[in-house]
Amino acid sequence: MSVEKKGENRAVTTPLTPTKLILQVALGVVLLVGVMVLCCLVGTQEVSLRDVLKGPGTTEKPNLDYEIIVRIRLPRVLLASAIGLALAASGAVFQALLRNPLADPYILGVSSGAGLGAIIAVMSGIQWAVWWGSPVALFAFGGAMAAIWLVWMIGRAAGRGNMTSLLLAGVVVNAFLSAVIMFLISVAGSEHLQTTIFWLMGNLNAAALEDVRVIWLTLGLTMAGVFVLFLLGARLNIISFGDSDAHSVGVSVVIVQRIAFIVAGLITAVAVSFSGLIGFVGLIVPHAVRLLLGADHRRLIPLSAIFGGIFLMISDTFARIVVAPAELPVGVVTALVGGPFFLVLLVRYARRGHWGD
Amino acid sequence: MDMIEVKNVSFRYPQQEVLRDITFRIAPGRFLAIAGPNGAGKTTLLRLLNGMLKPTKGGITIDGEPMSRYNPRRLAHKIAVVRQDVLPSFAYSVYETIIMGRTCHFGPMGFESEADQQAVQAAMEATETTQFASRRLTQLSGGERQRVYIARALAQDTPILLLDEPTSFLDMRHQVAVFDLLKGLQKQRGITIIAITHNLNLAGQYCEEMLLLGPPGQYTIGPVRNILTAATMERFFHVKILQGHIGDVNFLLPVGRPNCDTGR
Repeated sequence: MSVEKKGENRAVTTPLTPTKLILQVALGVVLLVGVMVLCCLVGTQEVSLRDVLKGPGTTEKPNLDYEIIVRIRLPRVLLASAIGLALAASGAVFQALLRNPLADPYILGVSSGAGLGAIIAVMSGIQWAVWWGSPVALFAFGGAMAAIWLVWMIGRAAGRGNMTSLLLAGVVVNAFLSAVIMFLISVAGSEHLQTTIFWLMGNLNAAALEDVRVIWLTLGLTMAGVFVLFLLGARLNIISFGDSDAHSVGVSVVIVQRIAFIVAGLITAVAVSFSGLIGFVGLIVPHAVRLLLGADHRRLIPLSAIFGGIFLMISDTFARIVVAPAELPVGVVTALVGGPFFLVLLVRYARRGHWGD
Repeated sequence: MDMIEVKNVSFRYPQQEVLRDITFRIAPGRFLAIAGPNGAGKTTLLRLLNGMLKPTKGGITIDGEPMSRYNPRRLAHKIAVVRQDVLPSFAYSVYETIIMGRTCHFGPMGFESEADQQAVQAAMEATETTQFASRRLTQLSGGERQRVYIARALAQDTPILLLDEPTSFLDMRHQVAVFDLLKGLQKQRGITIIAITHNLNLAGQYCEEMLLLGPPGQYTIGPVRNILTAATMERFFHVKILQGHIGDVNFLLPVGRPNCDTGR
């Protein structure tokens, strides 16, 4: 394990064994659960843990504290952790694939695709009673996947497996879809405006919260995705050096890139479909984990996921209470933290000429 | 059996022909230098030899088996490549970098075994990089990093080693050190080495054979002292060259025209 200290810099010199990784992940999970409990207890309504532990109470005299925690706060905290998990892990993976520590899931058009899908759902006023109640999430997911597919196809046409053309394709698709979003917002009736903008800023106060099964499904899907990405970790290490480096140590580069891109895109799409656009999680969290524990993707991916969950839970709790009884979109909180952080990284890069820590 | 056989290999990019009808063999345990003017296709040939590119015509066999029958993982057990110096996007430690050479030996979960760690130790000792193990690549000089990349290729534990200009950006002492290291590996482990180099005089001392590439269709290969002559070099490089020798090693000095008017 490496620790960044002033003047000295100890880097990883020992093998990464499964036991060591499992121990670190277990510690992370304990921390995650601890933060989860804390975030559940914090809110405008005071709740006592002792009362919560008494259980649901009876139909005539329900236990209010229990109801608040189990029906309102816990689902939201769980959703926040699932989304943070997905965004941070996919951020780490996109950074490796694009060989750029400033890459973010959104750079690949995922955000604007999801945004467009969501806006179409809001504006068309479609209402149907599927099991999570809202077509917005479904449309956003569809939009995100369509954007990823589009970026991949353009990138491939421009230069097979060339990650720079993929990056450029993402930027272009993002810009184009954002223009379409802005167009739709300009022509939208005022009744849709607030919903749309609130969604675009990212928030976890979504309709999905009505059905806890959706949250468990999201958590399950993203965790499965993170596990697949973790299995690619050793290959992503060498891919982050270069395609020919990876090829010469026996990695089937294009296949690994494809799987990593699709899985990271999928979990990002799942995340944004519920949350709207939450920026910077995929950027800050992997970077911080890299500073603390080194760049090895076998460790970076699972630990970024855990700390992404923690970061988003805390951000969302902050968003819930800071202007209570109103609520901030959580995307505003992450951007307020992430913007300056991004600038610090950029300045460090300009000074040193490399991304090294 | 020939370790590497290149038979009538041609390669062209869509807009440009690079290599035409090249044929040669390298026996196991030999040290071959590839030289030639810029743009002659040296790196392209190296990429053909490690399977990154496929010949437009002709074929390459490794140990008697056509290249097309190797998947990347199996090929990585035969051939390791030392890249030109580069700073990676992420601050990997020296240890983390060298263990990446073992990727083709990792189990399904992608963890290093006891054997992988031993291979890394041996590679670090052979390249004298043990003292850097705790540093990050970004904290090393170009020469030190070059040794780390050689260590990564050694850790891969292959019978064939390809190098793309391993001594570019190095001062004289480190250039000699790299060639010493390669020669030692060739002698001790019987590794076949193919290295692109612009340093003809060092190549003349250390290599047995040299492949000289010119424009498409023009190349020559043979024992290094037959290739390393003023006449041959003048034909390929179009500069005046003086030749001398110490023992049976030829030395070449390109002769400039420091006193000439700047072409006016």
